Amino acid sequence: MQNSLSLMKGFGWIILAAASIAAPPLLANIYWTSVMNMIVINSLMAASLRTIFLIGEFSLGHVGFMCIGAYSSALLTMKAGLPFGITLPAAGLMAGLTAILIGYPFMRVKGIYFVILTVVTSESFRLLAYNWRSLTGGTDGLIGFPGAGSLSIPGFAQIDFTGFTEYYYLTLTVVSSSLFILYRLEKSNLGFTWITIREADKMASAVGINVLKYKVINFSIACFFAGVGGALLAHSEQTLSPQASSVFGVMTTIYFLVYMVVGGKSSFIGPIVGAIVLSFIMEFTRPMQEYQPMIIGAIAIAVVMLLPEGLASIPAKIDKWRAKSLNPLT
Amino acid sequence: MSFLEVNKMTKFFGGLAAVLEFDMHVGQGQIFGLIGPNGAGKSTVLNTIDGTIQPSQGEIIFAGAEITKLPPHRRSQRGIARVFQENLFFGSFTVLDNVRVGYHLQSKIGFSSIFLNTSSNRETEKALKQKALDVLQFVGLAENASDTAVTLPHGRQRLLCLAIALATGPQLLLLDEPITGMNAEEVETMLGIIRDVREKKGITCIIIEHNLKAVMGLCDRIAVLNFGLKIADGTPKEIAENPAVIEAYLGTEEDAA
Repeated sequence: MQNSLSLMKGFGWIILAAASIAAPPLLANIYWTSVMNMIVINSLMAASLRTIFLIGEFSLGHVGFMCIGAYSSALLTMKAGLPFGITLPAAGLMAGLTAILIGYPFMRVKGIYFVILTVVTSESFRLLAYNWRSLTGGTDGLIGFPGAGSLSIPGFAQIDFTGFTEYYYLTLTVVSSSLFILYRLEKSNLGFTWITIREADKMASAVGINVLKYKVINFSIACFFAGVGGALLAHSEQTLSPQASSVFGVMTTIYFLVYMVVGGKSSFIGPIVGAIVLSFIMEFTRPMQEYQPMIIGAIAIAVVMLLPEGLASIPAKIDKWRAKSLNPLT
Repeated sequence: MSFLEVNKMTKFFGGLAAVLEFDMHVGQGQIFGLIGPNGAGKSTVLNTIDGTIQPSQGEIIFAGAEITKLPPHRRSQRGIARVFQENLFFGSFTVLDNVRVGYHLQSKIGFSSIFLNTSSNRETEKALKQKALDVLQFVGLAENASDTAVTLPHGRQRLLCLAIALATGPQLLLLDEPITGMNAEEVETMLGIIRDVREKKGITCIIIEHNLKAVMGLCDRIAVLNFGLKIADGTPKEIAENPAVIEAYLGTEEDAA
């Protein structure tokens, strides 16, 4: 039983990997390649948002750190002329450091108070980009900064990432390695400490865990990857806008949360599944744009009521059902 | 010099003094009892010792160093462990994992432990798992090692709380009503384990308990609190004969009239 479930899981990963690698040449369509690119970035955003959930907190400010990452990377390529290979980690660091700075005061509160602080802060990051004319171009946004360009690996090869397909593979590589890091972190002693804090923070501190420190570490790691996601987004679009209706608005952050909940927040794969499925649904319902929030909301409600553990729990459900039909007495 | 000293400690909640100018001297290896009616300030005293709350005035000296301002995790690192009044543990973990949390300070968190599965890491984890099993053996929970913690009955949950505290390798153990809600047999087991904690591990204990029979039989010294004031301090025999204590527990003859 356990075996067939892990087999199914393995197949799931392989299909996911194969589909994401094979899609662009099969589709051979710039539009769908860029959609896939966005979906891959969304998976990273949802997965890193779930990392914060490991300490038992929800952040509604994830898009704010994405915004920091996007603007940092764009401005570093524009004003300092740095290559993407440097600005990408720099964007992550910028978001992560910001998270450390605000994490210390923010992590002293829990639950809904933390949620409120994050959503307000995230909006103020966007408004900073909106109002800081001299640096960010204000309401006009940033237009026409360089893309990923080409990456030279000394003595090996020079890879050009200017095309959509090439950039998609770059995103896929960065996101899969990020997801691998997040996964290893969760399974390590560090992840164990985070879950300990979620279960009983008073007890965690009584056994010698510096609760505040580990919460801030968690928050800054999650925000680091949000920053990386932002940089990946910035250089694929090559324009940035700080408008409320843009990708950096509050709506996006709510969608990240919905990806996580619909996919299932109790497993690592959950938010990734959620991001992929819902992003595709949003893509197909684009002609009915004004009804999109309603459609996504209806799906979210249906999933929460029928599958409280999220879409990722479907294989386990099928397995259970099959076991029952094979052996009706148990 | 005493192992733990509480000097002129006062804690106000708003205008109310929960504990007023409280003094306590606990010698190394003692089992020290803290008794008194409900709301006398016993848990407040324990809370200031383990750092859950900060005293308004006074100082706390542990093993020769002042710890009055230290946060809880720093005190835990210095060897103060706490069994809370409520059953506080990590409910969704297995019993064994609960105890492993207690070994947090000894497990490594670093690059190699996260990304490389080196043999030295595996060795450390294996050794910690064995230590956790030893602690479970000590409190008699070995057969429950792989159970989910919330599924244990109350008496065993209390033992689990004790096991987690012991896993941190304490020198001073604070027990807040360890035998409340237990049946007679479980009480005997728990009292036996607390004696073992002192005899075999040499850990000093401070214990709050309403079961006076148990306290009298277990403790070397007892302090009695009433309305935030210490009204007596001495051996169990002295306490049992102290008129102020009898008055606090039973009232005076005028009250009865």
